[in-house]
Amino acid sequence: MNLKKISSKKSITLLTLILASILISTASAAVYYSMIAQPAVTITAAPIVFAQGNDWPSDSTLGSNGTWVSLALKAYPNATLAYDQPLNVSNTDSSSHTFRLRHVSITPASGNSQVSNFTSINFVVENTAGTAQASFNYTTGGTTTWTTPSTTSYLTLPAGTQWIIYVSTVATAGANSGITANIQISVDVE
Amino acid sequence: MTQLPPEVFTLIGINLFLVLSLLTHLLGNRFPKALPYIYQVAALFGLGYLVASRGYLMQAEESTRFWYSFAYLTTALTSVVAANFYVAAAKRLWTIAKAWFGAFSFPSILVAVFFVFQYDSMQGSIISLTPQIGLAVLAFAAGIGLTVTFSPATVKMLRRGKEVKQ
Repeated sequence: MNLKKISSKKSITLLTLILASILISTASAAVYYSMIAQPAVTITAAPIVFAQGNDWPSDSTLGSNGTWVSLALKAYPNATLAYDQPLNVSNTDSSSHTFRLRHVSITPASGNSQVSNFTSINFVVENTAGTAQASFNYTTGGTTTWTTPSTTSYLTLPAGTQWIIYVSTVATAGANSGITANIQISVDVE
Repeated sequence: MTQLPPEVFTLIGINLFLVLSLLTHLLGNRFPKALPYIYQVAALFGLGYLVASRGYLMQAEESTRFWYSFAYLTTALTSVVAANFYVAAAKRLWTIAKAWFGAFSFPSILVAVFFVFQYDSMQGSIISLTPQIGLAVLAFAAGIGLTVTFSPATVKMLRRGKEVKQ
């Protein structure tokens, strides 16, 4: 009888120790896992960047990391001015990546009377074969309000390849001279 | 490559303390009665450290976190070896001591050595040579000890389930 009592007491103590051990080890494993699971973000250079083209407009600015560009574009009254290769978009990586073009800002801004001098400013992304891959158009319709383009869909740029961005500007027949549109766009890489 | 946080040593130490607690309880009156509970408290202390470490993870230097965790693991390993020595030398339970050594002390040291070396290769030169050499010597000594103590006769004796008190 006494032996049984001792044995049952020991079993209860053992059970308590086992339960406590399971609790502690599970909790510590969970805490440790939460440490590993904390995401680490490393900043590296973008594999797809803008680069100056042969027809780079003067007074334009290329962002130091190549992910944004501010173009100073001119237009002729009642004529189309074509910039054949003002801007390139390059994949500097050894594997292909996707990118899209995103509108950031334009000056003169909507509401400014100078806006009505412009009719449209069109960007076309062309691959190495000269085939249009995407277009990115700013229009006014003769008003003082810009209709800005929505972000393009993602385009796949093969490894080590450079595509060109063709730009054409159109101004109204009675446009004033000396007005320049500054457009800032950026490239998003996936 | 996923970086190995230095708290991995604390995690190993906690589990060593928990196993120690259960073993010392299972061996009954051969150990002081309070010992299993002391080891549980030590494991709880490790858990507390892990929780606190998660809180100041971004602020503390990695080398500081490493040395705290390494000290905890060393304490756990020392406890394992000390309990092994206590069974062998003070209680003179050679068979239990040998089994303890082969099944617990030696693998624990080996795992600790593996993780310390692994950690060093992943993090660069955060660990000085001294603890690495110390652990390697310990593992080497443990390996030699294991080979010497586990003679075929001892294995046979263990199979028969005999405990020899000398």
